[in-house]
Amino acid sequence: MNRLREMATPSGALLSVFLVIAGIALASGGDSYAIRLATLAGIQALLALGYQMVFGHAGALSLAQGALFGLGAYVAALVALSAGGGAWATLSLPAAMIAPALLAAVVGAVVLRLETHYFALATLALAQLIHLGAVNWESVSGGANGLSGIPTLSLIGADVARGWPMLLVTWGLVVLIALDTAWRRAGLRGAAQDLARDHPLAASSIGLDVARLRYVEFVAGAALAGLAGGLQAHVVGVVSPDGADIAVMIGCLTAVVVGGRTRVSGAILGAILLVHLPEWFRWLENRQLIAYGLATLLMVVLAPEGLVSLIDRALRWIWPRRRAPAPRPATQSAARRARIGAPAVQAWHLSKSYGGVRAVDDVSLRFAPRDTLAVIGPNGSGKTTLLNLLTAVARPDSGTVTLGGLSVERASADAVARAGLARSFQTADLPGALTILDAVAVGAHRQPDEAARDVAWRALRRLGLDAVAATPVGALPAGQRRLVEIARALATQPWLLALDEPAAGLSPAERATLADALARLAADGLGIIVVEHDLDFLARFCARGICLDRGRVIAAAPFAALRRDPAVLAAYVGDRA
Amino acid sequence: MMATVDTPHLLLSALALGAAYALVAVGFVLTLNAAGAVNFAHGDSVMLGGVAAVLLGVAAQAAGWRVPGVVLLPLVILLGAALGLAIGAAGFLPLKDRPPSAVFVATIAIASIFEQSATAFFGPAPRSAPPVWREGTAQPLAMIAVAALVLGAVYVVLERTQLGRRFRALAQDREMARALGIPATPLIAAAFAAGGGLAGLAGALLGHQFFVVANQGPGYMLKAYIAVVIGGWGSVPGALAGALLIALFETFVAASLSAVWAQALLFIAVLLVLLLRPQGLFGEPAGRRA
Repeated sequence: MNRLREMATPSGALLSVFLVIAGIALASGGDSYAIRLATLAGIQALLALGYQMVFGHAGALSLAQGALFGLGAYVAALVALSAGGGAWATLSLPAAMIAPALLAAVVGAVVLRLETHYFALATLALAQLIHLGAVNWESVSGGANGLSGIPTLSLIGADVARGWPMLLVTWGLVVLIALDTAWRRAGLRGAAQDLARDHPLAASSIGLDVARLRYVEFVAGAALAGLAGGLQAHVVGVVSPDGADIAVMIGCLTAVVVGGRTRVSGAILGAILLVHLPEWFRWLENRQLIAYGLATLLMVVLAPEGLVSLIDRALRWIWPRRRAPAPRPATQSAARRARIGAPAVQAWHLSKSYGGVRAVDDVSLRFAPRDTLAVIGPNGSGKTTLLNLLTAVARPDSGTVTLGGLSVERASADAVARAGLARSFQTADLPGALTILDAVAVGAHRQPDEAARDVAWRALRRLGLDAVAATPVGALPAGQRRLVEIARALATQPWLLALDEPAAGLSPAERATLADALARLAADGLGIIVVEHDLDFLARFCARGICLDRGRVIAAAPFAALRRDPAVLAAYVGDRA
Repeated sequence: MMATVDTPHLLLSALALGAAYALVAVGFVLTLNAAGAVNFAHGDSVMLGGVAAVLLGVAAQAAGWRVPGVVLLPLVILLGAALGLAIGAAGFLPLKDRPPSAVFVATIAIASIFEQSATAFFGPAPRSAPPVWREGTAQPLAMIAVAALVLGAVYVVLERTQLGRRFRALAQDREMARALGIPATPLIAAAFAAGGGLAGLAGALLGHQFFVVANQGPGYMLKAYIAVVIGGWGSVPGALAGALLIALFETFVAASLSAVWAQALLFIAVLLVLLLRPQGLFGEPAGRRA
């Protein structure tokens, strides 16, 4: 029910947009040109919704969306023309979706790993190939003239005539897709997706498969581009290489940036503006395209969240919304899980070099639930690298790590997190706009929102943060953000926890609170491995410790003894020299 | 089947094309290194350089001056530099603390403003810029000479001057450069100006043989981009080598198959390079940026 409530805003906006479109078409007295424009706006909205998936939700700056739209248009045209009014004509839209989706599935499997600029280039090259094909593969595409005489859309024998029927089908599809997207992004699922986009490393550390999320959005976005292209072919009746041109891409980028990168209503608003504004600004003649560019540039610089967010903020300023009710404490459930089969980390002879420097050199260790293992050593001794190797953030050059039955050296970081080993980083990557409660609840993203927030509440209470649960993360000082990140790691309900300098930036009182909380967690059965410089902090809860120096374990002992070990003292003194 | 081709002549035009591409690619990589961001309007700066050369040529003729194109080039370079500064001021400076994709999108918007302005005010039809010195074989030779001279000057500035040292320090490690008190913003502005000047010059050189068309910007953008990927992201000599390689590839494939295949195979080749050797063909790049 909660998700439905959280969807209310986007779907409300959607309904009003739908009414506006119907209004425009009606007010024109059924003028066929107005209906056609409104239909084209719907098509643009589908294209923009698809591009939001790729660029907005997955954060992948694809420059192929326009060409995939063109591909969909050609495929729909070819199917409809070759069916010649027969039963196969129904397949024109499904085929228009499948062809770009298949292409995206093949290309995406490899190019999505690339960094921003490489990904943009790869998709631009793909777009240029599609455009070259459209212009030059004359026997199929009709060359520069394109294909004409494309029949109207046929759905299981019924003709969908141009005009009102096509308008309704198009906007019906827009509403369906928009509702589906809003449903998939409501509540914590959207927050998890945003985390995967903005902080992929942090997202994988709480078990989100970032690569898979990006891939699904890329392929789905391509399918929507194809659907929009197919509809366009049926509405306009001709396709030409212009439909796969870079201008289509720019238009689609403009719609999404102007309307809003991640808001469903933003895609629709952006698309309507893109199609209708030129009509209102006819006096600009052929210069309206310059205005598109200016509008995009201004929005990127001045209002990167888009028009919908601006409108939202303005409305909230006029009618301040009642503050969200403070989250209520969870009912204390018996949350302790059975410890049977709880995995242990076992590392054998791990080594890792960076550019000839041995960061980790032949390290073996084991830690299990209830263990508290400190990793100390001078700066640059390989402590963080060791944690990275244990959590699959980095791959060892040699040696093996197992986590229960999982071979960590071959696993992804998110698989390690799902197997029960959570971690924190030296820089806490948290979404600033969420409340602390929700930022932590994202850690429990595999549970329904209500349950996830309960889990988050318990994690916050353990760390003494429950009093600030309703404040936005952005309002916290840096030290406390660390604690929130640790709470998020706890919300994944791990067996084992790897912490990287958790006490840095905390006051002495906060350090004591954190150490006591970690001691209680360990007593409850959590295994903790912690990298830290503050030995007094470690002494409060660590039973054992190892000391690294230039990547090697130079001492391993009960923690109290480790502090007095001559080799350890020498390493620290040597560091200062 | 291979068409019969005049290899020395082809080689000359390939080198001339490569010389112009090298100006484009080096300009692109200079901005990339200083700003740490992709300037997607770079290709349209090339196009506008061509437009400037055409219009200056027409104006000179109308005034009755019978001067070779080379006299106009310094003016084109200055106009290009001003354009580059404008790109930096509008598309980079306000966004320098935001994710790289913001600069990307902003410069895509600027590229589209440039292209549409050229279409609206210069016209969509191809026009030819005046030759550097004379028509015929003199043009490719002059292109190579001018490009070599200018790239040599860039090399001297980068390697032999205090400005060049600061520039390389900034490219290598932005944080460290700032910590050492190297002022980043003036250097970034200088890089945008240099990038724009080189792009404008390239446009003026290319504009005679290959014409100036309002919508050719993305094509040049793509060439510069590909040259930098092939040469190793961030490497100036790599960009130069990549540009020459692209020009040779294009010219010889176009002569033996067709211009369309030359384009298609180039795009397929770059996809393969991205997949198999993202560090470029010539070893490690200076660093991963943008």
